[in-house]
Amino acid sequence: MKLLLLPAAAVLAVFAAALASLFRWSLLEFIPGSLQAGSLTLANFRAVLAAQYLGAIRDTVVLSALTTVLTLLGAYPVAYVLARTPSRRVRSALLVLTLAPFFTGAIVRTYAWVLVLGNTVVTWPVPMLFTERGVLVGLVHFSMPTMILILAAAISHIDPVYERAAASLGASPARVFRRVTLPLSLPGIVSGALIVFAWTLSAFPTPELLGGGKVKMIANVVKDLGLDSFNWPGAAAFAMLALALTLALLTAVGRVAAGRTP
Amino acid sequence: MRSGIVVTVVGALLAVSLLVPPARAQNSLVVSVWGGNWKDTVEKVVGKAFTAKTGIPVEYEVGGTIDRLAKARVAKGNPLVDLNFTTTHVARLYISDGLYEKLDMAKLPNTKEIAREALRSDFHVGSWAYVYTIVYRPDLVKEDITKWADLWKPSLKGKIAMPDFDPSHIITIAALMEGGNEVNWQKGEGRLKQLKDSVAAFYSTDAQSQDLMKTGQGPVQVMLSVNAYHLQEQGVPVKVVQPTDFPGVVGIDTMAIMAGTKKAEAAHQFINLALSKEIQTELVKALRAGPVNLGATVPASLRGQPGIFVSAAEWTERGYIMNDEARAKNLPAWREWFTANIVKK
Repeated sequence: MKLLLLPAAAVLAVFAAALASLFRWSLLEFIPGSLQAGSLTLANFRAVLAAQYLGAIRDTVVLSALTTVLTLLGAYPVAYVLARTPSRRVRSALLVLTLAPFFTGAIVRTYAWVLVLGNTVVTWPVPMLFTERGVLVGLVHFSMPTMILILAAAISHIDPVYERAAASLGASPARVFRRVTLPLSLPGIVSGALIVFAWTLSAFPTPELLGGGKVKMIANVVKDLGLDSFNWPGAAAFAMLALALTLALLTAVGRVAAGRTP
Repeated sequence: MRSGIVVTVVGALLAVSLLVPPARAQNSLVVSVWGGNWKDTVEKVVGKAFTAKTGIPVEYEVGGTIDRLAKARVAKGNPLVDLNFTTTHVARLYISDGLYEKLDMAKLPNTKEIAREALRSDFHVGSWAYVYTIVYRPDLVKEDITKWADLWKPSLKGKIAMPDFDPSHIITIAALMEGGNEVNWQKGEGRLKQLKDSVAAFYSTDAQSQDLMKTGQGPVQVMLSVNAYHLQEQGVPVKVVQPTDFPGVVGIDTMAIMAGTKKAEAAHQFINLALSKEIQTELVKALRAGPVNLGATVPASLRGQPGIFVSAAEWTERGYIMNDEARAKNLPAWREWFTANIVKK
């Protein structure tokens, strides 16, 4: 039985080695104009604590939280209809519409948003492209299919008998939803929210293309430092900082969620 | 059960095959170059002629500037490629890490015909040139743009796009306008800050730059001349400006031989061939970049265009060439300052 865990252990070992290497790089002195790193130092961590880098972390957390909430609000009604509709045709149509974005790829989808948000298809009352609003739209759209599928799976596991029983006892449809359906679908909400929040924290192509260089999330800053400034120690330090923060946030959110789920 | 094992084994073999680099023909010369049109042009113009002349096949390793640098660093001492194309200031990073072999100029007789500016160091030599200059869409911008100072006009507010991955060009131009240069670039800081509200977007790749121009989201750009000519070929109505106040900032792509290669002889032959008049003439036509060989024939339609230099005098008068070392050393500081003061909301 233990032998079956070997592949997973091997993968973990590779990841651990990569993280250890990243940590080592984060402690080496950056020498501008050279690929050689200097002696051991904590200067990289001091440098990435500058306002502009902390601002990127703040923006990432805010955008991830907003994306999670908006995705949840947008996805729940669709997931509910998907799980509950008696019409096979409606279910099939919704499923196709939900899955379609998976077949286009993140880059194609994001380029489509560049056209839509850039006043070439629709004229927006406020600037959308190259703003946080535009990035948020892209992130929500990117996350929506996954959230719909997770929620639909959770809702479909709720026995409709509970809802009918509540209704037969005089509860209004709104009350049935609030007191029965919503609490019973909490495990799906928590799973979906955690997944969307976690992957939005590491979003890269959406802010890169829809942010027009003006909206920087954590992954964009790591790329800027490492690939554009050739500051590999700085990129490693920022990545370690972001990783620690992400783990702390996910642990905190997970604990809160665990306390709320039935 | 058995089918499960077969699937596992096939999956593992597939994974291993993806991880292991493809086997190279033993006698072939491996050239590292950017993908897309760059690789296609090098292959069509230089590679085929090289194979025809020497009988040595050429294989290509394609990738972005930094991906290839990272790979070269990992393979230090036992290089996966024999010859490398990269930008002149990034080549400084290769040199600083001992990744390049010193060129044997006796094996490169064609270097005697190239512009002095294209001989970048004992380790790397220019292959072609271009400029970063102002490019705009006259159908979307109603007034003429003729000089760098025009970028600061209030009417261009919210219309400009520029690279954020390398702000060297605009930083240097702003410094030149204030009597400085890329070494004492701080002189241009105040002027640059005035440009902040004019920038609509920053681009990170050449493809993004061209998309911004095509869609009109960034109708005025500090742009690579080669990309601008490519857009013109596609029918996008862009005008490439030859600024009257200060010249465009010259970019030079270079060739070098990887340290530790066993194909140094063939690599020298490849470089020498790429620098010949005939090949340089073909490269100009294919890339619409400037030749480094002063004897290359340049089509009349390209003569005098930004980034196309046909004489030693034009190299010095029509383009500003940054000091590679200062650029490589200052780039991290430039990017940090640029992000904090220009990019940040």
